[in-house]
Amino acid sequence: MSPETDLRQPDAAAPDRAVPVLRLRDIEKVYQTKTIETVALNQVNLTVNRGEFVSIMGPSGCGKSTLLSLMGLLDEPTGGVIEVDGRAVTSYSDKELAGLRNLKIGFVFQSYHLINDLSVVDNVELPLLYRPGMGGKERRQRALAALDKVGLNARTGHFPAQLSGGQRQRVAIARALAGGPEIILADEPTGNLDSVMGEEIIDLLLELNREQGVTIVMVTHDLQQAMKTQRVIRFFDGSQVG
Amino acid sequence: MLRHLFTLIWNRKRANLLLISEIFFSFVVLFGLGTVLITAGKNFLTPRGFESAQVWRLLVRAGQGQKMPRAELDDVLRQVKALPGVQTVALTSNNLPFTFNTNNSDFVYKGRKTPFANTYDADDHYAEVLRLHLREGRWFAPADDGTHHRPVVITENMRQYLFGDEPALGKIFRYPMVVKNTKPEHEFQVVGVVDNVRMTTEFDEAIPSVWMRLLPYDTTHWETAAVLVRVAPGQGGALQEKIARTVAGVTRQWSTEVRVMEDDRLHRRRYTLVPVVGLGLMGLFLIINVALGLFGVLWYNISQRRAEIGLRRAMGATGAGIGWQFLGEMMVVTTFGVLLGGLLAAQFPLLNAFDLPTQPYLLAIAAAACAVYAITALCAWQPSRLAARIHPAVALREE
Repeated sequence: MSPETDLRQPDAAAPDRAVPVLRLRDIEKVYQTKTIETVALNQVNLTVNRGEFVSIMGPSGCGKSTLLSLMGLLDEPTGGVIEVDGRAVTSYSDKELAGLRNLKIGFVFQSYHLINDLSVVDNVELPLLYRPGMGGKERRQRALAALDKVGLNARTGHFPAQLSGGQRQRVAIARALAGGPEIILADEPTGNLDSVMGEEIIDLLLELNREQGVTIVMVTHDLQQAMKTQRVIRFFDGSQVG
Repeated sequence: MLRHLFTLIWNRKRANLLLISEIFFSFVVLFGLGTVLITAGKNFLTPRGFESAQVWRLLVRAGQGQKMPRAELDDVLRQVKALPGVQTVALTSNNLPFTFNTNNSDFVYKGRKTPFANTYDADDHYAEVLRLHLREGRWFAPADDGTHHRPVVITENMRQYLFGDEPALGKIFRYPMVVKNTKPEHEFQVVGVVDNVRMTTEFDEAIPSVWMRLLPYDTTHWETAAVLVRVAPGQGGALQEKIARTVAGVTRQWSTEVRVMEDDRLHRRRYTLVPVVGLGLMGLFLIINVALGLFGVLWYNISQRRAEIGLRRAMGATGAGIGWQFLGEMMVVTTFGVLLGGLLAAQFPLLNAFDLPTQPYLLAIAAAACAVYAITALCAWQPSRLAARIHPAVALREE
């Protein structure tokens, strides 16, 4: 079995937390061009249980973001199997994968990826637009509730350019939360923020994990932030090293 | 999703302004072109009100500084009519169908003034040669010789302008100029009403027309005489030569030119179509330019919005969904341009511009809107497919 380090809660094997929500088995990812073959991930085996907060660390280019893309079903592995809720999704169609992303996964990016021409609340509504059968009224209610959770209910009509970096990341978190996902994948969520704002965002993620039971997988370069999570997985040259 | 697209386009209105302007101008050009083509096409399909097949026109000239007495002219007409293959002959004025000569005037009846109407001189055989269709009354006949006022036959649309729905026969109208002691022959008594005619070009609408009877005992000496000849089917150059010889036989000083009316019609058709085709080509060139511009702008837009595409894919959009979204955005932008263009175009029927009926304008608005939507959809199709194929993981890493 793969080496996975449980730093924070060795007793986290409570019945509800031991349920694997995401499992990667023998995952390989190779980028191939005409002349070069680059192995981004090599024989990765990883299980994320429901309610966990896992950090992934490693130097630049070690395959962290590729791993997150695979976990987020945005990319296909060259080899191996990805399971979501115990079901292998390798043979899923584009439509099925999109539906799974929409229902189960929320994304938070280092550069926020907010749409500048949409207001805060419209940005937060974005994942709900792709949810079949959901009306405009419900979308708006859920977006406002998500913004309330991240403390931005006074900024709903603002545009991203009118917000600070920390506020933008809060909007991105609210957007990830709005769809009620089981898993949030955060790719260096504090990478563009100063330390104070970075702390605020980490605290917010910890709070969501603790109080809402949201499973979070976070890529980070910051060891202090990683230490606050339940488990740290280290990568080097596309392989898990600790 | 549609509301989301409208919000997105509205919030990007500055960035989309040029695109919307381009679509607006395309719509206006297509509307103008559409109105011309629809009007011309509709007129073309409307009955012409007379038959030009197997009709020739003769232009008889008395020669430089010479005049032709009416008696000799009548002799010429009699001899031409007697030729085998000639069915009927009629004397008329120079403004023959499909020629570039026009005589027109306005008229008045009980203070009601008509628009300018084409006026023709015609003898008693004119209707027979051109096979005009009588709706009311009769064509000119010897019975009109003794009439006090000048007998006229008018078209149905002229009847509407002069008398509305009232009966026309026997009514007298005149030129609008008020002249003291107006002579009776300067007043016109309606003896018949014929179907509307389109004698100028095949693409013009029916102009109100009035035929005034040429008096057989007219003593005017003419310099030229326009004669219409209906011939039997199959007649050609041989009969044309005979006609020319017959005229020359009466008096050697006179010259004759024989033309086939169908040739005049085709010549006039070409002459009318040249500017329309030119306008069409200009419009086409403009539309191609607009299409290429749209294509480039969309291509650029998509390359600028790769991160957004990646984000939307991460949020649950399918590749096809992204393609449809970009196509949908273009349709929303098009809607803004078409709405603005439609607003301008709607003024034409509302203000009764160019005296055209409402229907061609409405058809042109619909046709222009359809064409603009089709062009923009066509231009957006390939870039949208490109957007659909963008790999989300790659797009998200690019920013």
